[in-house]
Amino acid sequence: MAYQPDRSQYPQPRPDGSLDIDLRSGKYLKLWQGPQHPGITGNMSLELTVCGDEVVAGRTHVGYLHRGFEKLMERRTFIQCFPIVCRICVPEPDFNEYCYAAAVEELAGIEVPERAQWIRTLILEMGRVNSYLMYLGGQAGAFGQAVIGQWTTYARDLMLDRFEELTGARIYHMFILPGGVRDDLPEGFGRRMEQTLREIEEILEEVREVMFDNAVLKRRAIGLGHIDPALLDAYGVTGPTARAAGVAKDVRRDHPYLVYPRLAFEPVVAQASDVHARADVRRRDLLLSIDLIRQILAGMPGSGAVMTALPNVLHWKIPRGETYIRGECSRGEYGYYLVSDGSGYPRRVNVRGPSYTHAVALLERLIVNVNIADVAALMVSLHTYPPEIER
Amino acid sequence: MDALIGFWEWLGENFLLAQILIKIVAIVAPLMLCVAYFTYAERKIIGYMQVRIGPNRVGPKGWLQPIADAVKLMFKEIVIPSKANKALFLIAPMLTLGPALAAWAVFPFQEGMVLADINAGLLYILAMTSVGVYGVIIAGWASNSKYAFLGGLRSAAQIVSYEIAMGFALVGVLVAAGSLNLGEIVRAQQGEGGLFNWFWLPLLPLFVIYFVSGVAETNRAPFDVAEGESEIVAGFHVDYSGMPFAVFFLGEYANMILVSALTALLFMGGWLSPLPASWVEGVPLLGDGMHWMFAKTALFGFFFLWLRATFPRYRYDQIMRLGWKVFIPITIVWILVVGLAVVYQLPWWFD
Repeated sequence: MAYQPDRSQYPQPRPDGSLDIDLRSGKYLKLWQGPQHPGITGNMSLELTVCGDEVVAGRTHVGYLHRGFEKLMERRTFIQCFPIVCRICVPEPDFNEYCYAAAVEELAGIEVPERAQWIRTLILEMGRVNSYLMYLGGQAGAFGQAVIGQWTTYARDLMLDRFEELTGARIYHMFILPGGVRDDLPEGFGRRMEQTLREIEEILEEVREVMFDNAVLKRRAIGLGHIDPALLDAYGVTGPTARAAGVAKDVRRDHPYLVYPRLAFEPVVAQASDVHARADVRRRDLLLSIDLIRQILAGMPGSGAVMTALPNVLHWKIPRGETYIRGECSRGEYGYYLVSDGSGYPRRVNVRGPSYTHAVALLERLIVNVNIADVAALMVSLHTYPPEIER
Repeated sequence: MDALIGFWEWLGENFLLAQILIKIVAIVAPLMLCVAYFTYAERKIIGYMQVRIGPNRVGPKGWLQPIADAVKLMFKEIVIPSKANKALFLIAPMLTLGPALAAWAVFPFQEGMVLADINAGLLYILAMTSVGVYGVIIAGWASNSKYAFLGGLRSAAQIVSYEIAMGFALVGVLVAAGSLNLGEIVRAQQGEGGLFNWFWLPLLPLFVIYFVSGVAETNRAPFDVAEGESEIVAGFHVDYSGMPFAVFFLGEYANMILVSALTALLFMGGWLSPLPASWVEGVPLLGDGMHWMFAKTALFGFFFLWLRATFPRYRYDQIMRLGWKVFIPITIVWILVVGLAVVYQLPWWFD
């Protein structure tokens, strides 16, 4: 039933593992996808060698969006780094703020008030909802179904309204600071949030019907881009991509942080490990996040401080030391490695983003023997954000 | 309406060449206007399906948007890639638009209202819609771009494959009507049953296959692999700009209207009223007339937009599989069924 092309003309592997591709033979065509290609989720590029309609070899190229943030931070005081870290990942900036703030707090020995921890968890889950909504639109768009992207963009806008109300900003919030969060929840926030969540759930139900139950999309997505569960550790795959392969990896549960130990949830798992399963895991994870937001708003202590008093941040010196903070962002495990040499500046900040491990090495493996049409869908299914690959 | 027909006949009696030229203008000018406002309808309808408003800035409710687009495209520079084959690059758009317009020559809009009432009308239409593929192939080749080349190749294979399913569906119509003349085909659908007398009911599988093949033939979603945005950017017209691009665009939309109109003509009774003739005797607008043709065409045009707003794109090999392994066998079997029905004079349609 499934289409099997004639692969007898494909290049043969040489003894050292590389492929015998002679472009002058006329059998192969070199096709550059990106960095301005509409199927690529940002500024990166794929160098594809195609034989007929199929990719026989692919290389990923990054370097179009390198802004040198990690180096930039070494010349800035700890508090000056906040406007930078949130720009590392556009659709989900709060993770960077949280990880960086938690790292600074750990080195400086600052206690975070309990209510601030609840609000931080709330913000992280709201950011996750945003990020997944953007992903669903992108995944459908990569298959040529534009309508889902418009619907989820509308849903995301509703969540951005709540962000605006809470933090004063829609995209880059800069709300989480060392010692807590900038402000308490506004009056009546829970009620308006509940309304937003209901609307998003309604839209998601429609998305499920139109996207996930669509015969054409199922035919294209099921069985596409299978990742062998045995490869997950070798390629450092985490997050929904790993969970779609049946491995219940979730930092929120395995290494709890903030108030996650007090929330009741189980990681969402699927077995098929193809594009459809990955999209479905993310959709159900989105519903889980909505449930977590409800749990947080119900279980949050009524009042309390949201900020620990900091010393004068302009002359703030943090004791010598190093730390690694991890968290579960919408794409996988996110980590910050921070070294302080006792001065007012971080000695080294290293960001471990899941996009790097997913989209550079794993993608090169996945796009081999795949139709050109499926390359964009595969790239989106790994939930890649090139700004996060390069910092 | 009667005055219009009277003028038509008077022209034919007195100035033959002038009459033909005027008729051509009378067909092409409203057609171009329809194409322009079809793009507007597309943007509005898909806009509302995607929870947004669509064009609403140029003129009242955006009504002048198509005019503004046309003016913009006319004033844009025509960029010809330096390694492109200039002559072929410029001929290709014309080869797409030309047949799309020429096909209307044999199209009867109403009883007696046709430019060329030839007997092999159906064959002529089939020939004209097939010629359109040359424009796409030549554009893909002449641009000297890899993406355009892939788009052109895909499109060529797809159009040629769906041509066969489409042709077989038309053979069913021809068997049922007993004529290749488009006017005769409509008259064969006349009867006391109103819309139940039309061919869509006895030829239901062919009707569906004809329309879906028409969607594939015009390279529209969900079969738009020739210009799949997330795959090969814009396919065969990726290097076109300004007026050549606009001509491609006009050709595509003229083809969409042609397929919609043909579906209405061959399967939905053309200009016939859906109500039985005895009910609508003397009632204005309910009787047979060109407005029914227009309404039916608009309905199928809406289906084109609806499909585009709803479906993801098929992968290329899946399209080929659908065309060769599903559509063609079904049409062949159904031609046999129709043949038997005609031979044994199945009541209602073929008695």
